[in-house]
Amino acid sequence: MVKKLIAVDKLPAFWSHLAGQGKLFLPVKAGLTVLFKEWTEGDEVTLDAPTSAVSPKDIFFPREETYMRYQCRGQTTELSAGEELGPVTAFGVHPCDLKAIEMLDRVYINQDPPDELYQSRREKTTVVALGCTAPDPFCFCGVMGVDPLSAPGADVMAHLDLQRGNLILEAQTPKGVMLLKGAGSLLAEPNGKTFTPAPVKTADFGMKLEGLSESLKERFDDPVWDKLFRSCLGCGVCTYVCPTCYCFDVEDYGHEMAGERFRCWDSCMYGHFTQMAGGHNPRPSRKERVRQRFLHKLQYYPETYGELACVGCGRCLRSCPVNLDIVQAIKALGGEQDVQR
Amino acid sequence: MAERYLEELTKIHDAVKQDLLGGRINLLLGWEKGHYWWQSRPLFAENEQDLERLTWDSFCAVNLSRYLLEELKDYQKIGVLVKGCDSRSFNRLLQDNMVARQRVVLYGLPCPGMLDYELLTATAEAELESIAEQNGIVVLRSAAGEKTVEREQLLLYKCRDCRYPDPVVYDQLLLAPRGEKEAPERYKSVTKLEEMPADERYTYWEKELSRCLRCYACRQACPYCSCRECFVEQDKPRWQGRAYQGSENFLFHLVRAYHGAGRCIDCGECQRACPVNIPLQELNRKLIKDINELYGQFEAGLNADLEPPLLTYKPDDPAAFSEK
Repeated sequence: MVKKLIAVDKLPAFWSHLAGQGKLFLPVKAGLTVLFKEWTEGDEVTLDAPTSAVSPKDIFFPREETYMRYQCRGQTTELSAGEELGPVTAFGVHPCDLKAIEMLDRVYINQDPPDELYQSRREKTTVVALGCTAPDPFCFCGVMGVDPLSAPGADVMAHLDLQRGNLILEAQTPKGVMLLKGAGSLLAEPNGKTFTPAPVKTADFGMKLEGLSESLKERFDDPVWDKLFRSCLGCGVCTYVCPTCYCFDVEDYGHEMAGERFRCWDSCMYGHFTQMAGGHNPRPSRKERVRQRFLHKLQYYPETYGELACVGCGRCLRSCPVNLDIVQAIKALGGEQDVQR
Repeated sequence: MAERYLEELTKIHDAVKQDLLGGRINLLLGWEKGHYWWQSRPLFAENEQDLERLTWDSFCAVNLSRYLLEELKDYQKIGVLVKGCDSRSFNRLLQDNMVARQRVVLYGLPCPGMLDYELLTATAEAELESIAEQNGIVVLRSAAGEKTVEREQLLLYKCRDCRYPDPVVYDQLLLAPRGEKEAPERYKSVTKLEEMPADERYTYWEKELSRCLRCYACRQACPYCSCRECFVEQDKPRWQGRAYQGSENFLFHLVRAYHGAGRCIDCGECQRACPVNIPLQELNRKLIKDINELYGQFEAGLNADLEPPLLTYKPDDPAAFSEK
């Protein structure tokens, strides 16, 4: 497959080129945090940073997406589809985040029928994954089985050679080859020298995951749930920054003459998530909601798809205002290595 | 842990242990360590064993008063560790009739201001191994070596312009008071925003609020957001649309801020909780500044017997909005 190289200081020209081909999303510095956003001239792109504050899942599963629009004119009603999708490049996606997107693929694409909107965005997007160079103390992808230096599902795998100041790009799919070839002389041939990315060490927090999912089948009423939720504030931070959360709600916006039907992110941490029309709520308190979220990640998803719905990106550890995160949950549920007491 | 904190923790531990074992309280709301030394998370202690995890250090930022709303449903009498801002949060809840004073024992902890981990690592410019604190100085230890920085420069944003480090309401003050502070920079960024032309100011907020995920962490962490049902969730009529459009983000943050006018104690928990760093304190401080200018100096949460200006009526209240 095609392998190319670009000097880090030439990257802005590469960004302009890619942005000319369609929408370009990449990690951009915003104050002390990094956000995945659509590139505009002058953005401070940061490739040698920890994962973005919010996961890049919204490139494929936007926070809000229109199903259709309606407009009444006299006796007729006109219906039109939502946004016309064009080509997209998602640049600098960390291996953990791509693994998470592949988990969403199972939910949205490997179904009959598949989710057309998601599938279409996925097909129109070229993913350039980036080997991790700067994990932060929240990262624990290793223990979740993610290699921070490789993303087999990416169209292009990129590595930062910080020492020589180069970004090395290797195509892994025909789409990736097109992206590299399309950049023409912006990209140089690799100079023969091989580059071995530096090993990346991430925390494991003393977790032990073997047998955890199976053990949870019988533990819906475990007393752990009576305690774990107590510090939860009931906000939706964890679900919205999480790369493997994929719930949405469908709503209408507008009035009788014109409007739209759209879907938007929803969160199982909210009371109205399970609020029934008659007033009944099967998950009446934070206890049931916290249990739902963690069981979904640790039992329900693995039951259906064979692996934990967590990639160790560390965002819930970083963002929860009260430090109630999946590592704490796993350990409280017994997923802990034997420690000498 | 700094020596001073160890000494203080012993004092705190002794006091609450006596009360918890003696039955004066059935539950203590405090802090325990999280995964790392720079994380202190809420602790719900019911017995001596739980209390062993109690901690007190420069990372106890989480406001515990708010947990009373839920915990008072299950416990008759609850002890809460309160810093200055947490005590004013308690007054806020008390004024809103959300808690019963006689069912709460407040242990006052005069607060040195809490440190910001993001700022610590950004300042250390390397992965931080530990810190040491002494006399207003923080030594940052990392693989890159040691770096000495003034403590004031490493505070959480919410702590930087704190005027009341000492609890204003308590049953027992466990540590030595620190005294009121001046906060000359408190309205600096608000003043800057006020000086902007309206269009520029709109663009500023449009950009800041465009990051909002509507995770409602700001609301959930906030002591003035104690409504049993928020307007956001009301659906007859539906005030807040679910769309992530700029206008919906504006609606949420502006309505929330106005609900807090004269009630916001400026604890900054909203901004600390925000995962995308929206400068929410600027919105709240603008309203605090306006209230001060219109109705005279008023600091919410300072005295639970003083009604917030917008909840009272005086014949000479300014009414510029109704005068043509």
